[in-house]
Amino acid sequence: MRRSLVILTSVLATGALTLTACGSRDDNGGSDNSDGDTTTLTIGVDAPLSGENSTTGLGIQYGAQIAVDDANKNKLVPGVTFKLKAYDDKAQPATGQSNATAITGDKTAVGAVGPLNSGVAQTMQQVFASAKMVQISPSNTNPELTQGKDWQTSKKRPYDTYFRTATTDELQGSFAADYAYNGLKKKSVFVVDDKQTYGAGLAKIFSEQFKKLGGKVVQTDHVNTGDKDFGSLVTKIKNSKADLLYYGGQYDESALLTKQMKDGGANIPLFGGDGMFATTYIEAGGAATEGDLATAIGVPADTLPAAKSFIETYKAKGYKGDYGAYGAYSYDATTAIIKAVKAVVDANDGKVPSDINDLRAKVVEEVQKSDFEGLSGKVAFDEYGDTTNKQLTVYQVEKGAWKAVKTGTADLG
Amino acid sequence: MTGTGPVEPVNAPDADGSFEVIGADAPRLTDRVAQRWGALPPRARKSAVAAGLALLTAVGALLLAPDDPETREPLDLSAWPADVTRWDYLGLAEHPNSPTTRGSYRFAVSVLRGPDVTLRVTGAAFDGLRAQSTPRPEFTVPGGATRRITVEISVSDCSELPLDAGFHYLDVTLRNTHAIQRHSFIFGGAFSRDLSDLLHEACDPIPPGPGPRPIGSASSQNAD
Repeated sequence: MRRSLVILTSVLATGALTLTACGSRDDNGGSDNSDGDTTTLTIGVDAPLSGENSTTGLGIQYGAQIAVDDANKNKLVPGVTFKLKAYDDKAQPATGQSNATAITGDKTAVGAVGPLNSGVAQTMQQVFASAKMVQISPSNTNPELTQGKDWQTSKKRPYDTYFRTATTDELQGSFAADYAYNGLKKKSVFVVDDKQTYGAGLAKIFSEQFKKLGGKVVQTDHVNTGDKDFGSLVTKIKNSKADLLYYGGQYDESALLTKQMKDGGANIPLFGGDGMFATTYIEAGGAATEGDLATAIGVPADTLPAAKSFIETYKAKGYKGDYGAYGAYSYDATTAIIKAVKAVVDANDGKVPSDINDLRAKVVEEVQKSDFEGLSGKVAFDEYGDTTNKQLTVYQVEKGAWKAVKTGTADLG
Repeated sequence: MTGTGPVEPVNAPDADGSFEVIGADAPRLTDRVAQRWGALPPRARKSAVAAGLALLTAVGALLLAPDDPETREPLDLSAWPADVTRWDYLGLAEHPNSPTTRGSYRFAVSVLRGPDVTLRVTGAAFDGLRAQSTPRPEFTVPGGATRRITVEISVSDCSELPLDAGFHYLDVTLRNTHAIQRHSFIFGGAFSRDLSDLLHEACDPIPPGPGPRPIGSASSQNAD
């Protein structure tokens, strides 16, 4: 009976479709851009591409590259070819600022992706704001960048041109504290940071939240970026009897620290933030990293169907670096800029505005209105320029690889 | 993103395939229709089927005619349940006679796309808190739909509970035809404040007399 219904419906439907199809063919008429003129627009990407932090920095560069390639291949903006120009900030704030000046000085540039480090971003924000050019970081997590210095008491957005697709350390530090206290049942922690904007900020938020939960911060200490010998620090950690070491900083130092700490007989896990979520951490720290933990933004890529082809492309192209931490977020940041250009062009009768300053300002407005499904989930920004996608994962090193042990989604409203 | 999530693959759809009524949500229309259908005599059912077929044929022709099959959104069967499920806090549920060691909280749970998701609230981060949806501990939200549910949280042990944690968590197991995931939904704002109010009522101030912060059943600490 069901089959006969389907057949009858199909017959009627086929007739109806035949009739209606005749009238819908010529609806596309006006959208052809057959004059062959194309405009090349540049998107700058800034990250550490050499030296410290470059594993994750390269993941940002090539994540952006794949987004640009996809947009050009699919002719996402008819009449526009996008070009990616990469800048190496070497994780140095001053270099980042110089790069921002170079990007804004390029009269074909419509926006920028990056940087990796929150401390570098602080020196770049004003430059982009003065040029009214959009900047989207796929990895900055320090809350001050979007919510101002007094973010804990009175949020105020410092720059309308700055956005990010990564969620903030307010959430990351709290998520880590919860997992340390309730998941791992750790009650006393030794907290170390690298004195940088990101590391010190994250360690502070973790400490505050861990104490709120009832845990005890038995001691705090600091290292310098680039340090290699942590002998005296290891002695302090060992004597403190802490059952966990929390580290705010990057993998370059934390990989050495965990190795020296365990070689020194302090056999407690090291727990850090997204700055140490990289394959390089495990490679550099070796077997000593087993059982260590890190929080990272987003959820595992293998649970994101849209990221599958991105990962395949990244691997097939043989790109260097680690896409794991921020590659998909860089792709989404770049795509947000490209889609904003498309919105501006569509609203301008299909033409790119001839005044680059006008184009840049309008792109900022359109990025603020972003609302699309990216690789990492929904891409949209709140009134501070923060992503509305607030997902996090705790990873633990198990048999020489990062394994997700807890995921979470936040609603902070 | 190089890791594998805290997930378990699922090879079969929901075992029972049922949809449950949670909280104050109204019974489903489909349930009521199924009940009435079963009560009809066979001849009436045949007539109804014939009339229904004629109606369906007409409706089918109308619906199919203007629609372009290529523009229809395919059902995203590859969606992982935690990635498509959203929780929004609606506020305190009315429980005038509830003891001060227990609170009821209303949420809207949405499954943005993909197949139905079955959820079970398993906890609220702390060992001293128990949480579950009421009246049933497990409920299903159809893909593309939102359901309002009530979560009851009770204090079982004050000894290690922070009264003002800032963020509060609901630990949830989610299951669809693709995977089973254990996931935390993290709340600031109103839910965090409302739960902190409950914790203060249940565990603060520390009762007069010797001894540390109360240990054991919180309800026994609030007998007055």
